[in-house]
Amino acid sequence: MTKALSFINDKRVRDWIYQIAVVVFLVGITVFFVRNASENMVKAGIASGFDFLWRTSGIEVPFVLTGYTQADNILGLFWVGVANTMLVTVIAIVLATLLGFVVGIARLSSHWLVSTIAGAYIEFVRNIPLLFFVLFWYFGVIAALPAPRQSISLFGVAFLNNRGVTIPLPDGMENFRIAGLVILACVLVYGAFSVWARRRRERTGQQAPTLAAGFVLLLAVPLLALVWATLATRWDVPALRGFNYRGGFAVIPEFVALLAALVTYTAGFIAEIVRGGIQSVSHGQTEAGSALGLRSGQILRLVTIPQALRVMIPPMTNQYLNVLKNSSFGAAIAYPDVVSLFMGSALNNTGQAIEIIAMTLAVYLVIGLAVSALMNWYNARIALVTR
Amino acid sequence: MNRASSLSIWRERLFGTPFTGFVSVVLALAIAWVAVPIIRWALIDATWSGTTRADCAPGGACWVFIRARFGQFMYGLYPVDQRWRVDIAGIAFLLGIAAVVFAPQRLRLKLGVTMLVLLPPLGIWLLSGGFGLRYIETREWGGLTLTLFISIYSSLIAIPLGILFALGRQSQLRVIRLISILFIEFWRGVPIIAVIFLASLLLPLILPGGIGIDRLARAVIGLGFVIAAYMAEAVRGGLQALPKGQREAATALGLNYWKATGLIILPQALRISLPAMTNEFIALIKNTTLVLVVSILDLLGIAQASLADPNWVGMNMEAYAFSGAIYWLICFALSRWSRSLENKRRL
Repeated sequence: MTKALSFINDKRVRDWIYQIAVVVFLVGITVFFVRNASENMVKAGIASGFDFLWRTSGIEVPFVLTGYTQADNILGLFWVGVANTMLVTVIAIVLATLLGFVVGIARLSSHWLVSTIAGAYIEFVRNIPLLFFVLFWYFGVIAALPAPRQSISLFGVAFLNNRGVTIPLPDGMENFRIAGLVILACVLVYGAFSVWARRRRERTGQQAPTLAAGFVLLLAVPLLALVWATLATRWDVPALRGFNYRGGFAVIPEFVALLAALVTYTAGFIAEIVRGGIQSVSHGQTEAGSALGLRSGQILRLVTIPQALRVMIPPMTNQYLNVLKNSSFGAAIAYPDVVSLFMGSALNNTGQAIEIIAMTLAVYLVIGLAVSALMNWYNARIALVTR
Repeated sequence: MNRASSLSIWRERLFGTPFTGFVSVVLALAIAWVAVPIIRWALIDATWSGTTRADCAPGGACWVFIRARFGQFMYGLYPVDQRWRVDIAGIAFLLGIAAVVFAPQRLRLKLGVTMLVLLPPLGIWLLSGGFGLRYIETREWGGLTLTLFISIYSSLIAIPLGILFALGRQSQLRVIRLISILFIEFWRGVPIIAVIFLASLLLPLILPGGIGIDRLARAVIGLGFVIAAYMAEAVRGGLQALPKGQREAATALGLNYWKATGLIILPQALRISLPAMTNEFIALIKNTTLVLVVSILDLLGIAQASLADPNWVGMNMEAYAFSGAIYWLICFALSRWSRSLENKRRL
């Protein structure tokens, strides 16, 4: 090799050449794609930019939480989709976690039948596509429910039929707002109390009754406040009039089917995480707990679960993010989430493919990052402290 | 173990204490309450033979429907007289995989590479036609054929891309590492259904005018990119599990980056990540169903579409039970295989 080219043997120089080559290649591809896209859009007569968001949408949505109407603009439609995505995601996460914990703990039960049933459930749901569950719940179960006239009554206040679920709606939110303030106050007082108790314990070694305080402030008083608000509020209970229920709040069948599918499917995965987490706690910990005189329920609550949580949080975060992403499966049954409203209806009406795709993906990336950040914060809080 | 002692083990398991016995009885009743109607519907009251809906007894499953539709569940709308092509492609893939799995160790790599070069073009030629075979549009493909086609061809995109990005994420070169991380986190952060929409809308838009791209190819490319990001994380696990000394030893032997990676690092890392990669492949098979939203009819799509047939109204349960069972069998077999790989590694 000639002397002029010998710098190529320097590893640092070579590394830079590689990296520059990759960047040039990527920029080149991007420019190529963008040029094609703009040419194709000019040919199709589509103007780029976000001006279309302020056009009247004219799209009717069957399930609205934000007060949107057809006369609103497309940005309003976008927020309807985001709200519907969030609603089904949050409720599904809560319910799937509960069911997943039950199944996961049942899987470890010493009772043979209990653990076998839990195992069968897990193997069943984990090996079948989620879309199968969505379609099955929608076309198989909900569509097969009786017509409104023969609704299945849940305690005489909610009614289940093939048009979805009708639940009572409070006439005013005033009492609930008061209850919310009471609960907030309780949480703040408890926070202040536990900080004071910890400082005092560190100073004097005396243990304040934090458990009793927690019971009163975090459980008893909030529960009483909620019961009071429920009883003091007039409820708009759905009643059968004509062919369908009037009054109350009608939850569309698409929501019910999507929620049922997300919960039953995700619970199978969460159950395995719970099982793995609990099994990761060494048996010596359980034995030490019983040597201290704790009962088996106490061991589970005070020794096993806190340690298992450390193992469970990262995979649990993944499952929660999956629920968020999987909520888009509702598009297959036209649940009006952000994908089906925005990438479907709005895109068909406006043709603004690039802007709409970018906004929809941004919703998931932003919410996903927020959920990860929250779970990472929680994970850091409960992580094992090694000193 | 003789019968008496195994019986006493069962008695101990189910009725060891009064509480255990109580739980057993309650659960047994619950199982009977759920399972008996299902078994009656699926087996006892079911109709197995016949040709039309009229042959089916009410109250039981009408498996006649599945028999009548079996061809469509497997091949979609593929022309009946051309279905042998799908069969041959399927057999060729199975034989190819079997040959690689059962080949002696020293031939395995060569054979694997040969199959990888040979089989994919062969499959596409057999299914779509040209060079002497009748041309068949992808619109007519469907059913289980399409589910497997999409799964296999998306992973052919996903696996090499995934390995590349896993290496990129572990690279010393900062720019390359950053690009890899962005790529992986982006595709992992967005829903697959959105990616399928994106691919079907965006690919025709960003290619030069006049180049049409088949809608099935769009879905395969879209899925391939997402799965690549997940594969990359699976491979990263394997790379991280390798002791650092392996690369140092390879470098000490005078191997450059690509030689060290190809000869020393990847063979070991891929063996470690194989179970995780299999799990991603299972997820891919399950997610293939989402092509339904761009009107490509895979197995679940065909099952769903078959419900619209006026001659077979109300066959929802039969269609779901049959397609669900096929998905379950495929995914369960694969997950068992992946678990056995994991156990073998642990020993």
